[in-house]
Amino acid sequence: MSMKSYIAKRLLHTILIAWGVMTAAFFLMRIGPHSPADKYLATLGAGHNVSQVAAAIESRYGVDRPLYEQYFTYITSLLHGDWGWSFSTSMPVSDLIRTHWVYSFQLILLSSIVAILLGITIGIFSAARKNTTADHITTFFSFAGISIPNFWLGMMLILIFSVKLGWFKTYYDTGLPMFSLSNLYALILPVMTLATGMMAGYSRYVRSSMLENMNKDYVRTARAKGLPESIVLRRHVFRNALLPVVTIIMLDMSGIFFGGAYITEVIFGIPGLGWMSLKAVFSDDYSVVLAVTLIGAFVTLFFNLVADIAYTYLDPRIRYE
Amino acid sequence: MESILSVENLKTYFFTKKGTVKAVDDISFDLRKGELLCIVGESGSGKTVTALSILRLIESPGKIIDGRIILNGRDLPGLSPGQMQDVRGNKIAMVFQDPHSSLNPIFTIGYQVDEAITAHKSVNENETTSKSIELLELVGIPMAKERYHDYSHQFSGGMKQRVVIAMALACHPEVLIADEPTTALDLTVQAQILDLFLELRNKFFMSIIYITHDLAVVSEIADSIVVMYAGRIVEKGSREDIMSNPLHPYTKGLIRCLPSDHGEIVPIPGTIPNLINLPQGCVFHPRCIHSMEICRKKRPSLNMVKEAHYVSCFLYGDNHE
Amino acid sequence: MNITTYYWERIKGHRLAMSGLAFIIFLILLAAIGPFFTVSPTVVNFDEKNLPPIGFSVEQSKFSSEAGSLITTHVRGKWEHPLGTDGMGRDLLSQLISGTRVSLLVGLFATGLAIIIGAMVGVTSAYFGGIIDNILMRFTDIMMTFPFLLLLILIVYMFGSSLTLIILSIGLTGWTGTARLVRSETLSLRTREFIMASKALGASDFRIVFHHLLPNTISSIIVLATLTIPGAILAEAALSFIGLGDPQVASWGNILNAGQNDIQTAWWIAVEPGIMLFLTIISFNFLGEGLRDAFDPKSE
Repeated sequence: MSMKSYIAKRLLHTILIAWGVMTAAFFLMRIGPHSPADKYLATLGAGHNVSQVAAAIESRYGVDRPLYEQYFTYITSLLHGDWGWSFSTSMPVSDLIRTHWVYSFQLILLSSIVAILLGITIGIFSAARKNTTADHITTFFSFAGISIPNFWLGMMLILIFSVKLGWFKTYYDTGLPMFSLSNLYALILPVMTLATGMMAGYSRYVRSSMLENMNKDYVRTARAKGLPESIVLRRHVFRNALLPVVTIIMLDMSGIFFGGAYITEVIFGIPGLGWMSLKAVFSDDYSVVLAVTLIGAFVTLFFNLVADIAYTYLDPRIRYE
Repeated sequence: MESILSVENLKTYFFTKKGTVKAVDDISFDLRKGELLCIVGESGSGKTVTALSILRLIESPGKIIDGRIILNGRDLPGLSPGQMQDVRGNKIAMVFQDPHSSLNPIFTIGYQVDEAITAHKSVNENETTSKSIELLELVGIPMAKERYHDYSHQFSGGMKQRVVIAMALACHPEVLIADEPTTALDLTVQAQILDLFLELRNKFFMSIIYITHDLAVVSEIADSIVVMYAGRIVEKGSREDIMSNPLHPYTKGLIRCLPSDHGEIVPIPGTIPNLINLPQGCVFHPRCIHSMEICRKKRPSLNMVKEAHYVSCFLYGDNHE
Repeated sequence: MNITTYYWERIKGHRLAMSGLAFIIFLILLAAIGPFFTVSPTVVNFDEKNLPPIGFSVEQSKFSSEAGSLITTHVRGKWEHPLGTDGMGRDLLSQLISGTRVSLLVGLFATGLAIIIGAMVGVTSAYFGGIIDNILMRFTDIMMTFPFLLLLILIVYMFGSSLTLIILSIGLTGWTGTARLVRSETLSLRTREFIMASKALGASDFRIVFHHLLPNTISSIIVLATLTIPGAILAEAALSFIGLGDPQVASWGNILNAGQNDIQTAWWIAVEPGIMLFLTIISFNFLGEGLRDAFDPKSE
């Protein structure tokens, strides 16, 4: 199979899954015990004309029309970028997303850079010193990093560095530029919170991938050629070891986006998608919650596809098949 | 003829959790200039460990415990890592058993041959490339110029092994060690690779250590033969001595295993012993039909029975440690 | 030596796994007999709110009826509440024990459900192949595409947050990894000689699946289950932490949620359940790693 047709096949698969995701979301919405209107109406106090609002919502969602028609409208409006209406903020969900995604992106970008750089370094260090005390200590801390719940870590960082030491008193301020010093300073604790688990995980991947590759015959061949050990490690172990790690990091990304980042945003009050979506949960803003879930799924799909394509470019065995 | 490489009382042990594996236990042999020396033995007899010990490529938990390996008057175990690196690939080169895993899949084969040259010589890129192509042509790779840019998975097993041989020849080594270079290949290809070795030897008057378990091959190509069993040498001598006048019961057994025009194949009963719990006395005695009282008690030493023919067995002369 | 003893011997040498196992046994005992020795976690006593743990003292502002104003007093930990109390004066030790019960229940049942569904889907898919395999695996792909936590939040948001529902949702969304693993292991087994042999001897599909295929994947399933438990426990804790947990039970996540608001005045409320959660998760991770090594024929 040539690479082009492989990518074409992967694209087709991605589209199929995306369609499945949208369909699943549609049915989840319909089997829910509440219609979107009920949920919202329950939060409205007296003084509103309930039946009028209800009718508006019903016609907007078209719940009075037949199911297949609803499904069709739903899919086409999604594809047109119409993600529904946010009742709690009185604006289209797509606008809401457009305002908030950058803050998530900034947090994730900074955390990823920190986690990838440190994770790879620690992993190589650990593998090069396999079974020494240094390796055992890093292994222990990697396990701790993987196991520590990041919301608790975040709280502990606040407790130690803000409450007790008083070092971090500022909060993220959307009024200032995203990359202003004050905002970057406010992001130090959140980035530590989010990056710790990622870093620990990556260092484990890198370590085991390095160790696996160190036992390969071609590494011995490289040594037998008389190459210096540093070049053997850099060229013949690390390059090969990085291949699966790149894929794993890509596949991991979406989990980070909508797992770790979600809660980190909530703890530190960073107005990203997670923070926005949780606010929507508590104000019963149905379409926002659903939209963020869908975005989560699409981002996952995107990274899966990118990981696959990246792998085909990086590994000549697949590239030339 | 002068000896180019002497192995004297080499001991290489592996210190595992279950106990010490005496993979190579006190062996000595000489390789003369232009000689093709075959080391024969079953798997686990210590052939490969011997080869890796010569190149000092033994990895933890293995260690060279004792012995001298003298290449042109220089004792290899006494060299610094930097000096040893200069010997590998330059003075002594090695061809490994499995060509499918001896080449790094993510680099072109041309790059890997280049590496073998530039590891020891500072030459410019163009010169390196043309030298590599020359080497590839020498080992019989058709359209070497084009194939220089290919990856290992685009080659057949036999062609891969030719590439590995080209890498080994890159710096015109004085000694070439080939560790079962044909075992992983198809029968017809085996014969071609074997021919290549003989051709190269005649062309460059190289000294070769050829490791194999296949006595049929040995009887065709060897100048002299070393027979190993459970980490020790049981018999060594010229090809004529060993093939037509084998002394040690194990060597005799091996030769009886060869398919011949007359007579049947007689397998040696039993298997190679556990290297952690070696039997007392002669390591071969549990499988030996001539086993005597003394064989269970004492370890026979390697004694000369006639000019350059050595055997380690109590059946021949007064043999006491 | 039988096979269980063999694996036990192998895992006994794994120090981290053994310490993990010891802590898990401690948790089980704590959950089982702890409630008999502690006060009820729901007893509210505003006179003893925000008591620090034994050995600590904090300054607190209290309204004094004699002085008629706020006065600052030193408050010390009391032996009646060795780990202190929360903002409503509820005993933290008994709340933590209740939380242990909740976490173990979630870990056990959610993982059990996930493993059973996953194993069934995986083995069906691999054994029958073709169109069935295709449909099941595409469905698995779709499930995997939803980020786990978001899907949980959505389900809990829609259907309400009782503990039973939380356990069910974790189980019903967490099976995809098992399905993939069991499928790939079964696929590699399916072509092995002994399966071919029993097929040739006329064994029924049912028999092959339950007597040959599943038992041979059991070691992988055990490892995966051990490593899925902390994920399930963490999911419940995360849901409770962001305020979507079952308000009827004292779970570690619920306590942490409360502790977040009082972090300025009563740090121990946020610290204690987190330590329990952290130790629990790391114990299961250590045990899982040890089991993986023990089952892996390649490792020494």
